[in-house]
Amino acid sequence: MLKIMIKITNLTKSYSKTKIVDDLSLEIKKGSIFGFLGPNGAGKTTTIKMLVGLSKPDGGEIKIEDKNISKSREIIGFMPEDPYFYDHLTALEFLQYMGSLFDLPRHPELPHSHPEQSEGSRPRAGGFARFFANAQNDKIGILNKINQLLGLVGLGKAKNQPIEYFSKGMKQRLGLAQAIINDPDYIFLDEPLDGLDPIGRREFKEILLELKKRGKTIFFNSHILSDVEEICDQIGIINKGKLIYSGDVKGFCKNKSLEDAFVDKILTIK
Amino acid sequence: MKNILVIAKNTFKETVRDKILYGILAFALLFLISTTMFGSISLGEDIKVIKDLGLAGIYIFSLIITIFLGSSLIYKELEKRTLYVIFSKPVSVFQFIIGKFMGLWASISLNILLMTAIYLGIVAIKGGGFDYVSLFAILLLIFEIAILIALTILFSTFTTPLAGTIYTIIILYIGHSISITKTFAEKSEPFVRYLLNASYYIFPNLEKFNLRNDVVYGSLPNSAQVIYPIVYSALFTTVLLSLAISALKKQDL
Repeated sequence: MLKIMIKITNLTKSYSKTKIVDDLSLEIKKGSIFGFLGPNGAGKTTTIKMLVGLSKPDGGEIKIEDKNISKSREIIGFMPEDPYFYDHLTALEFLQYMGSLFDLPRHPELPHSHPEQSEGSRPRAGGFARFFANAQNDKIGILNKINQLLGLVGLGKAKNQPIEYFSKGMKQRLGLAQAIINDPDYIFLDEPLDGLDPIGRREFKEILLELKKRGKTIFFNSHILSDVEEICDQIGIINKGKLIYSGDVKGFCKNKSLEDAFVDKILTIK
Repeated sequence: MKNILVIAKNTFKETVRDKILYGILAFALLFLISTTMFGSISLGEDIKVIKDLGLAGIYIFSLIITIFLGSSLIYKELEKRTLYVIFSKPVSVFQFIIGKFMGLWASISLNILLMTAIYLGIVAIKGGGFDYVSLFAILLLIFEIAILIALTILFSTFTTPLAGTIYTIIILYIGHSISITKTFAEKSEPFVRYLLNASYYIFPNLEKFNLRNDVVYGSLPNSAQVIYPIVYSALFTTVLLSLAISALKKQDL
C-alpha cells in the first residue's frame, strides 16, 4: 500500500467573487502518476499553482509530506503551461541558472533510488539513469549533469542556442528539464504534452514513467486523454471548480475509453 | 545571499545582451564623438563645451537605458510567467527583487563606465588631459541611477512599462526641480506650503547628485558633496525596494 504524500483538504480559491476552486480535497499516493483533468476553465491551473505555492488559497490546506509548501520547495519541481524563458540566455545557461538556485548536488548517497533501479538495470530512457546516478555523485560537476539532462530531454544539440530561437516543443522540453533539475520527489506539470510532436510526446511519456520507476510522485494537468489513460495510475476530474471524480482510471472508464467516459461525465453534469 | 547573486548574474547577462541596448549605446557613442565638432566651433571654449555636452550626454543616455530596461524588468517576468518557474523554487520575493536590482545596476553601471571611457579619451585627445574630476560626477550619476532603477522596479511590479516610464519621467522631473519647490513653498499660502514641503520629503532630491556644472570647471567637490548623496541614495533605494518587495508579495500569481 503506497503512502499518501500529497494531501489537499477543502481547498478554495476565488477571483472577483467567482469560485475557481471549490472545496477540493484530494489525496495522492507516493510514487504514483496522477492525472488532473477537466474542461477549459475548470480550475486545473489554479489548483496546480496553489500546490506549488504560487497562489495562496482562500481556504483549505495543502500538505506535502506533512509539511506546508513553503517548506517543501527543495523537493518539488514545477513546469508551467506554455513555458516561456529568458530569450537572451542559452538553454545551457538557463539550466545553470535554475540549478544554482538549489544547493546541488543534494544527495551524496542514493537515498532516492527505487528498489527496481538496481545496478545494471536498463531503463527505457537510458540517459535518465545516467543523469540521476551522476547527479548524486559529488565528483561530477553540475555542468556535466546539466549537459546530460539536456541530452535526456532532447536538447543536447541546441544547448548553446539562445532560447528566443526555440520552438514551442523545445521550450516544453526545456520546461521539463528545469522542473527535474533538483532531482525532486514531487513533480507538478501543467499541460506538459502540449505543443509536442508524436515523437516528443512518446519521449516525454517515457521520461515520466521512468521518473515514476524512481519513486517520484507526478501530478499533471492534461487535455490529451489518451496519454493520461496510458500512463496515469490515478486521475482526478474537476468541473467548475468542484472535484467530480478521484480514483483509478479503470474504475472511471468502466470499459469505455477515457475520452468517452470523460465526455459522458461532463455532459451529464451540464 | 547566494540566490541574490545568482539572480543578479542572470539579470546582468540578460540585460547586456539586449539588442536595443546596443542601439542606444551606439547613439550615445556617436553623440560623444560629435561633441568634438561642437567644441571646434565654440571660439576657444572647446574643452569646456566637450565636457559640458559629454557629461550631459552620458547622463541622458544613462537615463534612457535605465528607463528602457527598468520599466519592463519585473513586468516582463509577470507577463511572460517566468516568475512561475523562479518562485516554485526556493527563492523569496526579497532575493528576487534585490537580485534583479543588483543585476540591472551592474549592467547600467558598465554602460556608464564604457561611455565615460570614451568621454575621457575624447577630452584627453582634445588636450584636456585626464579629466579625473569628472569621475566624481560619474560616481554620483551611478548612485542617482540606483534610485531610478529602484523606482522603475517598484512601478514594474504593479503597472505596465508605458505607465511606469511616464511615472518615472514625472518623478525625475520633480526630483530635479525640488530645490526650487522648497524656495517656492516659503512664499506660498500655508496649505500650498504644506503640500510643497511634503513633496520635498516624499520625492527624491535628484539635484544632490548633479556635480556636472562644477566639474566642468575643474572644481573638485568636497567630501560631503560626494558622501551625503551616496548615503541618501542608499536610504532612498532601500525604501523603494522595500515597497517593491511588498507590492510583489501582494500579487497573486
